[in-house]
Amino acid sequence: MVGATEQKRRIGVYICHCPTTVVDSADVDELREFASRLPSVVVARGCEAGCSERGQNVIKDDIRNLRLDRVVVAGCSPHTHESTFRRACRDAGLNPYLFQIANIGEQCSWAQRNGNGHKPKALLQAAVRRAYHLEPLQSREVPVNPNVLVIGGGIAGIQAALRLADSGHKVYLVEREPSIGGRMMQLDKVFPTLEDSSYILSPKMTAVACHPYIQLMTYSEVVDVAGRVGNFRLKVRRKPHYVDESKCTGCGVCVANCPLKRPSEFDLGLGKRKIIYTSFSQAVPNIPVIDRDRCLYFDRGTCRVCERLCEHRAIDFDQQERIEDIEVGAIIVATGYDLFDPSPMSRYGYKQLGNVLTSLEFERMCSATGPTGGAIRLNDGSAPESVAIIHCVGSRDRNYFDYCSRVCCMYALKYSLLTRERTNADVFQFYIDMHCCGKGSEEFYRHASERGSKFVRGEVAEVTDQAITAEERGKLTVVAEDTLLGRRIRIPVDMVILCPAMTPRRDTEEMARLLGLARGADGFFLERQPKVEPTATSSNGVFVVGCAQGPRDITDTIAQASAAAAEVLAMINGGKVEIEATSAAVDESLCSGCKVCLALCPYDAISFIEDKKACQISDVECKGCGVCVAGCPAGAISANQFTDKQILAEIEGLLADAKPPPLAV
Amino acid sequence: MVQTASREARGPLTQAFFDRIAAVAEGEKLKACIQCGICSGSCPLGFAMQYPPRRLIASLRAGVMEQVLQSNTPWLCVACYTCTARCPSAVGITDMLFPAMREALLMQGVGVPGELQTALENTFRHGNPLGEPPSKRADWIQEVDVPVTDLSADPREVDILWLVECYPAYHVRAKETVKALARTLHALGADFGVLGQEERCVGDSQRLVGENGLFEMLVEENGKTLDRFQFRQIIVTDPHAYNALKNEYPKYGVNYPVQHYTQYLASRLEELRPMLGELNHTITFHDPCYLGRRNGEYEAPRQLIQAIPGVTFVEMERNRENGLCCGGGGGGMWLDSFAYEYAKERLSEKRVREAARTGADVMAVCCPNDLLRFEDAVKVVGLEGKLVVKDIIELIDEARKG
Ligand SMILES: Cc1cc2nc3c(=O)[nH]c(=O)nc-3n(C[C@H](O)[C@H](O)[C@H](O)COP(=O)(O)OP(=O)(O)OC[C@H]3O[C@@H](n4cnc5c(N)ncnc54)[C@H](O)[C@@H]3O)c2cc1C
Ligand code: SF4
Ligand code: SF4
Repeated sequence: MVGATEQKRRIGVYICHCPTTVVDSADVDELREFASRLPSVVVARGCEAGCSERGQNVIKDDIRNLRLDRVVVAGCSPHTHESTFRRACRDAGLNPYLFQIANIGEQCSWAQRNGNGHKPKALLQAAVRRAYHLEPLQSREVPVNPNVLVIGGGIAGIQAALRLADSGHKVYLVEREPSIGGRMMQLDKVFPTLEDSSYILSPKMTAVACHPYIQLMTYSEVVDVAGRVGNFRLKVRRKPHYVDESKCTGCGVCVANCPLKRPSEFDLGLGKRKIIYTSFSQAVPNIPVIDRDRCLYFDRGTCRVCERLCEHRAIDFDQQERIEDIEVGAIIVATGYDLFDPSPMSRYGYKQLGNVLTSLEFERMCSATGPTGGAIRLNDGSAPESVAIIHCVGSRDRNYFDYCSRVCCMYALKYSLLTRERTNADVFQFYIDMHCCGKGSEEFYRHASERGSKFVRGEVAEVTDQAITAEERGKLTVVAEDTLLGRRIRIPVDMVILCPAMTPRRDTEEMARLLGLARGADGFFLERQPKVEPTATSSNGVFVVGCAQGPRDITDTIAQASAAAAEVLAMINGGKVEIEATSAAVDESLCSGCKVCLALCPYDAISFIEDKKACQISDVECKGCGVCVAGCPAGAISANQFTDKQILAEIEGLLADAKPPPLAV
Repeated sequence: MVQTASREARGPLTQAFFDRIAAVAEGEKLKACIQCGICSGSCPLGFAMQYPPRRLIASLRAGVMEQVLQSNTPWLCVACYTCTARCPSAVGITDMLFPAMREALLMQGVGVPGELQTALENTFRHGNPLGEPPSKRADWIQEVDVPVTDLSADPREVDILWLVECYPAYHVRAKETVKALARTLHALGADFGVLGQEERCVGDSQRLVGENGLFEMLVEENGKTLDRFQFRQIIVTDPHAYNALKNEYPKYGVNYPVQHYTQYLASRLEELRPMLGELNHTITFHDPCYLGRRNGEYEAPRQLIQAIPGVTFVEMERNRENGLCCGGGGGGMWLDSFAYEYAKERLSEKRVREAARTGADVMAVCCPNDLLRFEDAVKVVGLEGKLVVKDIIELIDEARKG
C-alpha cells in the first residue's frame, strides 16, 4: 500500500502480446485493465513485442513524456530480455535498475498449459509493488586482467590457448595429466578424412610448448577460484614430477632403464609403461614423471637407477607439491569427456569375455604407437575373421544416458574401413539409426557401405560364448533381431567392439562447484543459451568448450574453441567489464561483530575491521548472492535490489488478491 | 494393395485394445519406442511369436492391430521382464502392452486358451488358481512339527505376517518349502502368523495375464483382510506376490512393508549362520525374474546359499539380470501347452540344461513356479540323478538339521 507519507511514484506497465509467452496464459486486455488500476501506475499499455525496437521506443517515449520513474514489463524471462529493457531505460535517462520484469513466460505460460487466470495478475501486482521500492543503483566497471586460464589440454583447450596466445595474450594452460593432447591423442585415424590423429595434433602441441605467451602447467589442477569476471584469482596445484623440468632434456635414458612396468593408462591397460614414464612418445612437455605409489625408491628406498643414469642430474626425489597463484580475466573450461564403462551392461560380456573391447581400446590397438603397433589382433595374436561393432552402448538409453553421443556412428564406420584395410575380416555394424549428419559424413557412410560393411539394423540383445551350433564353437555369438528382416539372428564373430556413451568427466560436479557452473540434465556443463550463447556459462567470464559441454567431434570442438577465444578477446579488448550492481552492505551501526557472515560468504568478500569492530563487504568481491543477508543474526546486512522492503512488497503483491485455501477437514 | 494405417477400420478387438491402452496411466509411452529390436532379440520366446515385441509395437504405432491380436503373440509372453529391463525407451512391454492385449481378448472372449480360462475361473471362485477349497489352505500346518499361528483362528498381534501363497499352500511338492520355512522361522524365534483360510491369491499373474478386473477384486479383498490384522511387516514365499505387494498394491492404497523370505532370512543371517551344518553340494542358483530382474534383489538368495558350510557355489552363464526365465510367469503356468505348441521346447528345459552345464548337482531356486517347472524339466530332459532342484529354504532347513 502506498502510505500517505510515502512518495508518489510514476510507474509505467507494458504487457507484451507475445503469443507463447503471455497470450497463452493470460487475457492481455484484462491484464492491462488490471494494471492500470494499480496504485502509482500512470500508464498501462499492451504492445506487440516489448523487446522489438518499436516496443522499446514506446517505453522510451513514455519515460520522457510521462516522466515515468519506474518501468514494469510483463513478458518473458529476465534471462532473455532484462538487459534489453534496462538498456532502453538507460537510453531514455532512467536508471536501469528501476526496471522490473513480471516473468509470465517462465512462471505461467511455459510451465503450465492451462494455468489459472489469477497467477499472471498476482505476478504483475507483485512486480509493480516491488518496483515501487526499487532504488537507483550504479553499475560498476572494472578493468579486465588480460590473461586467460584454459583448463584442460585436449584439442579444445589447445585450440583456444593457441588462438588467444597468437593474438598476444598470456594464457595459462592447466592440464591434469603429464602431457597435453587429451583423447584425440589416443585416436588412430580421424573421420571423415582418415588423417592420422597425431599428424594433425602434434604440430599444435609443439606450438603450445614453444609459444612465448603460453605458460603450460601440466600434471596440475585448479584447486581454488576467487574473484569474478575480469579479475579471477586461482590456486593451481602442481604435482611433483620428481624430475627437475629446468634440467631435463627429455633424452629418455631414465625411462629406458627403469626396471618396473605397469599397465599404461594412456593405452587403457592394453600396453605397459615404466614407473618413470611419459604418457606417450610425442608427449608435450617431453618430461617424464615418477609414479610415486609404485616406485621402488619411494616404497623401500632402493633402486635409484634413474637418478644414477641421468647425466643432467634432473631426478629430484625431494620435489614437493607446490601451489601456484595465478590471476586472469577469463577462464575457458575444456575438460573433455570420459567413456562409459560398459561392464554394468553385463549382457555384452565386457570384462567377462575375451575379445570384447571398447572403441577407445580399439583405437589404441589400431594406433601405430599402440600396444600392437597398429595390427588388429585377437588375444591369441591372430587376426580376426569377423568383427561385430555394437552402436549406442549406453547412449540413447533411458537406463543409462538419454542422449546420442554423436560421434559413434561415424567412428564405427571408420573401424569398418580400417578393419577391411588391415585384415580380411567381415565387419557387422549393429546399429539403431545411422546418425551421420556432419559435413562429409553421408559420403563417408556411403564409402564405408561400398567397402562391404554388413549393416544389421537392430540393437544387440546379448553377446555369448555358449555355442549352440558347430559354427558358433570357439566364437563370440552376437544375438539380435534384424529389424529390417524381422528375424532373430545369431552371428558368430571373433571380436566385438562396443561403442560406449561419452559421459561427463567423473569430477564434473566438483569442477562445477569450484567454478560456479551449472550442469545440464545430461550432466555436462551447461551453456548459458544453447543457440545464441553456446560457449558462455551462467558464471560471467567462464566459458565452456569441446566435449566438456557435450559429445561432439573434433571439427565441432575446434570451431567452438575458436569461438570461445573470440568471445574472450572481445572482452579483453574492451578493457573493462561491467559488473552487476547487486551487492550486499553492512550497516555498521547494527553489526555486533559476531563474524557469522565471514564463514558464510562463498566469495570471501567480507572482512572484519578491527577499528570499527564491524564487518565490511568488498563490493568488488561480492556477487550479491545474499547468503550473509539471511545469516546475519543482527539483521545488519542488506542486499541492494533485494531489500526486505522490496521483497515484502513483492509478497504482498502476490497475495493481495489471493483467496485463502479451503481449510483441510 | 496399399493399406494406409489411418484407414484401417478398427474391429471391436482392436478398439478394445486401444481403449485399454488409453485407459492405463502412461499408455502414451508405448509410442516412445525407437524400434531398436533389443526386446525381440532378448525375448526368450520371441522366436516363436508371430509378432515379437518390436514388430508388435510397429503395428501398434501404425494402428494396425487386428492381426496381431489374433496371432499367437499375446499368449506367449511369460512376463520375464527381460525386454522391459533392457528397453532403452522404457516402454512398458511386460506390464502394460501384453496385459492390455490380453485384456482385450478376454473381454471379447476371443482365442483365450482353455487352460488359462480354468485358472482364472478357479481364482474367481476359490481365491486360488488351483481350484482348491479355501478351507484347506492351512492344512499344511498339521503336517509340520513346529507351532504355527493361524491368525484366522487365533487373531493376535504378530511381528510377521507370512503370506504363503497358493502353490506353496496346496501343491504337494511346494508344500515342503513351506514346512521348511516354518521350521526355520521357528528356530529363529520369529513371531509370525499366517492368514489360513482368510488368505486369497495375491494375483500378480492374473494381472499380467490381462484379468485386471480380477486383480483389482483381489487387491480390494486382500486389502480389507490385511486391514483387520495387526503386524509389523509381511513376508512372502513367492516373488510374484512380493512384486505385487511392493509395486502394484500401493497404487490402490494397500501399502505394507514386504520382504521376500530370502531377504528376511538374509537380514538375520548372523543369527542363522551358527545353526547351519555342512552340506556337501555344488550349487547353482536360478534368479527368479520377479525377485531379480524386476526388483533388483540378486544378493539375498546368494548370501543364504553361500552361508551354508561345505557348499561350492557356481554361477550359470546367464545369471542375475540376464537369467533365463523358467517360463512360468505372467500366466505361463497356465499356458504351458499353448507355449509348447509353438516353441516346441520349454524354457525350463533349456534352463536345467544350462544349470547342468555348470557341473552343479543342485539347482537352487526360491520361487514356487521354478521349483515345480524345473523338477518336471529335469525328468523330461533326462537329468534325473544328476541334478536336483531344491528351494533355498529346503537347503537351509537341511543344513540346520545336518
Ligand atoms: C572412440 C572414439 C573415437 C573418436 N573418433 C573421432 C574421429 O575419428 N573424428 C572426430 O572428429 N572425433 C572423434 N572422436 C571425438 C573426439 O575424441 C572428441 O571430439 C575430442 O577428443 C574432444 O576434445 P576435448 O578437448 O573437448 O576433450 P578431451 O580430449 O577429453 O580433452 C580434455 C583434456 O582435459 C584434461 N582434463 C580433464 N579434467 C581436467 C581437470 N579437472 N583439470 C585439468 N585438466 C583436465 C584431460 O586430461 C584432457 O587432456 C572420437 C571419440 C571417441 C570416444
Ligand atoms: S526395446 Fe524398447 S525401444 Fe527397442 S524396439 Fe523394443 S520397445 Fe522399442
Ligand atoms: S516379458 Fe519376457 S516373455 Fe514377455 S515379451 Fe518381454 S521378453 Fe518376451
